[in-house]
Amino acid sequence: MSSYFMLIAVLLPIVGGCLIPLLPLNKRSWLAIYTEFIVITTSVLVFLIIVNRPDSGFVVFDLTKELSITLKLDETGSVFATLVAFLWPFATLYAVEYMRHETHEKTFFGFYTMTYGVTLGIAMAGNIVTLYLFYEMLTIVTLPLVMHTLTKEAIKASRTYIYYSLGGAAFAFIGMVYILKYGSTADFVAGGVLDMAKIGNGTDLMLLVYVICFCGFSVKAAMFPFSAWLPKAGVAPTPVTALLHAVAVVKAGAFAIIRVTNFSFGTEALKGTWAQNFLMVLVIFTIVYGCSRGLKEPHFKRRLAWSTVSNLSYILFGVITMSPMGLLGAFAHMICHAFMKITAFFCAGSVIYKTGRNYVYELDGFGRKMPKTFFAFTISGLALMGVPGLCGFVSKWDLAKGAVTNNTVLSFVGVAALLVSSLLTAIYMLSVVVRAYFPGKDFDYSTISDVKDPNWMMTLPLIIFVVVMFVIGLNPSLLMSQLSEVVDTVF
Amino acid sequence: MEFVQNLPFISILVSLFAGPVCLLLKGKKAKYVNLFVIISVGIMQLFVLLHALKLKEAYTYSMGHYPAPWGNEIRIGILEASMALFFTIILLLSMLAGIREREKDIDSEKQNLYYVMTNLLLCSLMALVYTNDIFNAYVFVEINTIAACGLIMIREKGRTILAATRYMIMNLLGSGLFLLGICFLYDLTGHLLMSNIKEQVAILNVTGEYHMPLLVAIVLLAVGLAIKSALYPFHSWVPDAYGYSTVSSAAILSSLVSKGYIFLLIKIFYRVVGFDIIASSKVIDVLFVFGVAGMLMGSINAIKEKDIRRMIAFSSVAQIGYIYMGFGLGTVAGMVASVYRIVFHAATKSLLFVAASGLIDASGNDKHITSLKGAGYRNKTAGVAFTVGALSMIGFPLLSGFISKILFAGAAWETDTKMMVTLVALAISTILNAMYFMRTVITIYTPMKTPEVKEKGYAKIKFSEETLKNITLIGFIVLNVLLGVCSEPVVDLIEKGLAMFG
Amino acid sequence: MEYVIVLPILISVLIGVLLLISSFVSHTREKSKAFISDNFKYTGVVSLITLFVCVAITLYVAWFGPDDIVLFSLVDDIPIHFHIDDLGRLFVTVTSIVWLMVCVYAIKYMKHEGEERRFYGCYLIVYGVLVALDFAGNLITFYLLYELMTITSVVMVLHKGTKEAIMAGLKYLFYSMAGAYCALFGMFVVYQHCHHLNFTAGANLNEVLASENREIMLVAVFFMLLGFGTKGGMLPFHAWLPTAHPVAPSPASAVLSAIIVKSGVLGVIRTVYYVVGPDFIRGSWVQYAWIGFALTTIFMGSMLAYREKVFKKRLAYSTVSQVSYIFFGLALLDPVAMTGSLVHVVGHALIKCSLFLSAGLFAFKTGKTHVDDFIGIGKTMKVTLMAYTLGALGLIGIPPTVGFISKWYFASGALKADLNVVSILGIVVLLISALLTAGYLLPITIRGFFPGKDVQIEEKEEKLDSMSGVIFIMAILALLIGILPNPIIDFAREIVATLF
Repeated sequence: MSSYFMLIAVLLPIVGGCLIPLLPLNKRSWLAIYTEFIVITTSVLVFLIIVNRPDSGFVVFDLTKELSITLKLDETGSVFATLVAFLWPFATLYAVEYMRHETHEKTFFGFYTMTYGVTLGIAMAGNIVTLYLFYEMLTIVTLPLVMHTLTKEAIKASRTYIYYSLGGAAFAFIGMVYILKYGSTADFVAGGVLDMAKIGNGTDLMLLVYVICFCGFSVKAAMFPFSAWLPKAGVAPTPVTALLHAVAVVKAGAFAIIRVTNFSFGTEALKGTWAQNFLMVLVIFTIVYGCSRGLKEPHFKRRLAWSTVSNLSYILFGVITMSPMGLLGAFAHMICHAFMKITAFFCAGSVIYKTGRNYVYELDGFGRKMPKTFFAFTISGLALMGVPGLCGFVSKWDLAKGAVTNNTVLSFVGVAALLVSSLLTAIYMLSVVVRAYFPGKDFDYSTISDVKDPNWMMTLPLIIFVVVMFVIGLNPSLLMSQLSEVVDTVF
Repeated sequence: MEFVQNLPFISILVSLFAGPVCLLLKGKKAKYVNLFVIISVGIMQLFVLLHALKLKEAYTYSMGHYPAPWGNEIRIGILEASMALFFTIILLLSMLAGIREREKDIDSEKQNLYYVMTNLLLCSLMALVYTNDIFNAYVFVEINTIAACGLIMIREKGRTILAATRYMIMNLLGSGLFLLGICFLYDLTGHLLMSNIKEQVAILNVTGEYHMPLLVAIVLLAVGLAIKSALYPFHSWVPDAYGYSTVSSAAILSSLVSKGYIFLLIKIFYRVVGFDIIASSKVIDVLFVFGVAGMLMGSINAIKEKDIRRMIAFSSVAQIGYIYMGFGLGTVAGMVASVYRIVFHAATKSLLFVAASGLIDASGNDKHITSLKGAGYRNKTAGVAFTVGALSMIGFPLLSGFISKILFAGAAWETDTKMMVTLVALAISTILNAMYFMRTVITIYTPMKTPEVKEKGYAKIKFSEETLKNITLIGFIVLNVLLGVCSEPVVDLIEKGLAMFG
Repeated sequence: MEYVIVLPILISVLIGVLLLISSFVSHTREKSKAFISDNFKYTGVVSLITLFVCVAITLYVAWFGPDDIVLFSLVDDIPIHFHIDDLGRLFVTVTSIVWLMVCVYAIKYMKHEGEERRFYGCYLIVYGVLVALDFAGNLITFYLLYELMTITSVVMVLHKGTKEAIMAGLKYLFYSMAGAYCALFGMFVVYQHCHHLNFTAGANLNEVLASENREIMLVAVFFMLLGFGTKGGMLPFHAWLPTAHPVAPSPASAVLSAIIVKSGVLGVIRTVYYVVGPDFIRGSWVQYAWIGFALTTIFMGSMLAYREKVFKKRLAYSTVSQVSYIFFGLALLDPVAMTGSLVHVVGHALIKCSLFLSAGLFAFKTGKTHVDDFIGIGKTMKVTLMAYTLGALGLIGIPPTVGFISKWYFASGALKADLNVVSILGIVVLLISALLTAGYLLPITIRGFFPGKDVQIEEKEEKLDSMSGVIFIMAILALLIGILPNPIIDFAREIVATLF
């Protein structure tokens, strides 16, 4: 397939999103159909591109002599692109129904669709400058989505979000310039591009820059101590929290880290250094930290957001082990976590949509009244815990295996952290489940008699995601064989 | 000699004489004369630039055909020509953008005075850019100062008088030091023409004689110009001067006047002292420290600021800090970065000032940031322009700020000790920039409740009501994007021009 | 047809899920048809029939059917693998018998607890999972089912839906999860040092690798012991057991205490004897720590049971103590002691089941749950109390009951294992604990039959009904094993012989 199509895939949603406020989409259904049409077309296009992957990159234009904006889809990018392209249409379907109660729909769908294009841009970025470009764009286009409700809280959250994200990018920038200066090329090449001759004995500097760069990108992936923005950003409408703050945006951070680690700096130069150990400590700490904060959090969506903090660090942990197995686990968790967390968030969203209840202690007895929603939530909770047979276990297994093969004390500590976090996950997810199904003997169901499952537009994505979780969990070789091929190209 | 080589001289002369002419004319006519002068000067610079590019080397143009060391020379190279062209473009856009405010802010009888000042300013800017004579430079520095002072004062409202006084005091202090520096140099070398001084300085440097006095002279020149260009901590006049003057004045002052001095300083570095001598002296370390301090403190002050115009003014202090930090790196790459920053800042800061004025218009002339709530919806073009400017300031890719950041960071890698400081300062400064610019962007897009809007009598401003301003805003945006996307030729020009300087 | 192995598992899980769904639907719908309403009388009978069919197939499969099936792979090409060996047969037989009997008991008992369908649904599912657990042929399969067992059995703990039950359920869940994750940690490490994860009598350790990383391997094994030990109520994660078992309805507490705790034992046996190999940990700190934990638990459990006045809680503490007997026997890493452990698995399952069921029956008929209220209970519930006494004697270990046999083996194993002080200490603890067991079980019999003169209770003839009958059968079964221990001992010896 011609490499032009990559540009089309990226631009279609961006332009389509820009057009939404300008087009006369006065009726709600037209807006919905238009948005869904753009999104599905893009997804189909992306799948076509992935299946017939163009070998060559596509240079959009040259920024300077050395820097060009290039789109190139390699195996690693395909993983992220597939994930996003699969989830977006469903999330849009959900959003169409969910946003019925909210205002400024045109703005919302405009930016929501643009975000799709930008995220694809990150997946298809062929060099570090392009990645940085789309990374920054992602911050900007998602800002209005966080602000969307325009309450005081939302404004505050959006400020925090933008300070953190732009600040992170500012530090990641240092790493980018280092690559431009000391790399043989700005393109992503498996195994890294650093020119050791140029670096000479400046390895410590190189490691320092790597740490700075990692930390910079990890802001989006909400690593401790840069995680505070994510729970706050939970004020956004649920489709945003679910798709962007559990999948697209945060995984873009993780994806950028994979790019930087494996494709720019190269694991050869980093393995076994203080930089790896330092970052691993941070990541391991985040794994436990996120969960413990989630445990304390009574706000439903914020609790899930904290859980995301922890789970993203699973991915980072896999990356930072710098072993093929660890990376495989990271990819697997990237995909599995997407399904698990988006389901959980959609459930939380359904509750908010139907009842406006935001806190966990308000969910007594909902299991009976919203059976589909809470069935999905239970499954996602079990999957997040890592119960075998569901997808969470698959990725956790690979992550742990990657760590164990590394055979250092820290990696064992990491495995322990994974399991402690699983336990904490069990506590904060299952306490919701138990509350919903077992509200207590004296609970009066008539107080929630009007609570019902939402309509098909909101439940269909849930059901599909649950099926996916089971399919991956019961037959992981479907996914893992593909992913290990990807990993083989990286190492 | 080709005719085109006369053009720089003619442009200085035209703008110089246009000043008194405007004095005689009525406001409206003066305006047209002024516009005509700016445009014609701009066209002349374009031709000069093309010629310089063709020539591939700098040439000197002796006034009155007296050869050096007696005569008065101007020198034309790629960098000079492109800077002159660029300054004229910014001046034109700033003047166009502020027409309505000017007519409102300034007494109708004094309108023409404004154009007198602008013409003189243009003249002095051209002269500062082209001159090859350091004393000549001093003369035009003074003209520049007085003209700028007039631009501030003429609004005669609020604190502009105070601001002008402050501006005057600080700038005269700067001029005084600058003059002192020239005296020292003249003492040491016996010359006033830059090329001649440079030869002598090189000899002194080899023999090692008069090391201390030479250093003092350099320091005096540098500090004098630093004060005039508002390097932190000599910035106290900036917020008032930029914050309360009429909008085109603010744009001109922040993007042109201070940049003229900085350009002069670059000239002194290259053409008077010699870059190698500067780079190996401690002077640049001092500039580096002040530059970094300015970058951070300017932004911190801006964060505290509640008045949007003053906030942007403080941001200028930070930007000047960037430029001096680039000097302080002591490498050619650092210089290139600094010069590019001048270009970037001139384009972006004017954009911000003009956009801010549009937002203020839509909020009942209240400059307080909180009252700008929802202004982005009431004046759409200004809102978008402000957002673009803010994004450029924080180094968003595809805009000019990003290229500038890359250049600085790239330059930083070539130094040892200053590298990490520069990089971290860049990063922190970006965050600080984000904190006040993005906060403002969020504020202007947070809608105000309709009853409140009605109560305060804020009006929506349509595109057609402010066509000229909006068009200039679009011009600024395009300029910014062009600088960001096609930075290659600009950086190329700067590199070639700097090489020609030596 | 090797797929027949999956058949009983599938049937019971499927029927169970159907029951659960119908229970759920009856709540969500305002009006529902007769056969899915909660008033449907024959839920218990239907479940019993299903269970009976499943048990029949299971036992047939276990003893006469094919013994190996590989299903789809779960991770890393490690398949879901069922392999039936003698150990599995032993466990699955005990499980099946107990499950079936308790189901008979439950038909009457659960009538008054309500939410029958949910109970039986879970009951059937858990049975399916347990059968699969006993058949599991590798660690991954085992772990999968182990987690499933926890999640499905928690519903039984939550059954009453009171605040207390919910808290207990959560406690059970989180402790079990903690245990499972400890075990999983060990598995991650062990996996790297094994040829494969299939259960192999003896061991399948990659000895070169394992001895290179001996320390980390020992830590891993230790974690697995702790983790699986959690289910068996071993220190330090025992606290859930006395909370969770008593709040469940009596049939549930019976199976929890009798069977589900044994899955922890099975996990430990599988780990130590089928993956890592007893030789690997013999003489290491892990063995001593394990023995230490087991002995402490034995003593502490008995002590706490002795002090506890709520009857079901007392029995739960007793379980804590008794299961650690088994752990002690296993920890000695000696064939004789291990034979004792296997016998005790069977014995304790039957006895503890009958004890819990009698506790349930006391509460069911008289509403009394407190030990002090049981004075004179023998006058009205003679049959039940007699069955109870039979069981209690077995648990104390008075010859010729099964308890005596297992203890005998423990003691001689301890001496044979030759661990100096530890052996002696072990025997002393066993004796003290036996005394304590007598101290907390027998007073109920004594004061039940001989309440003293000042208590006037009208004597009533108790008929032998389905509930007390079940208790009786269990107690007698246990007694029979004590009297004719040879078949089971021989069988246990056979198993053990393959391991050493």
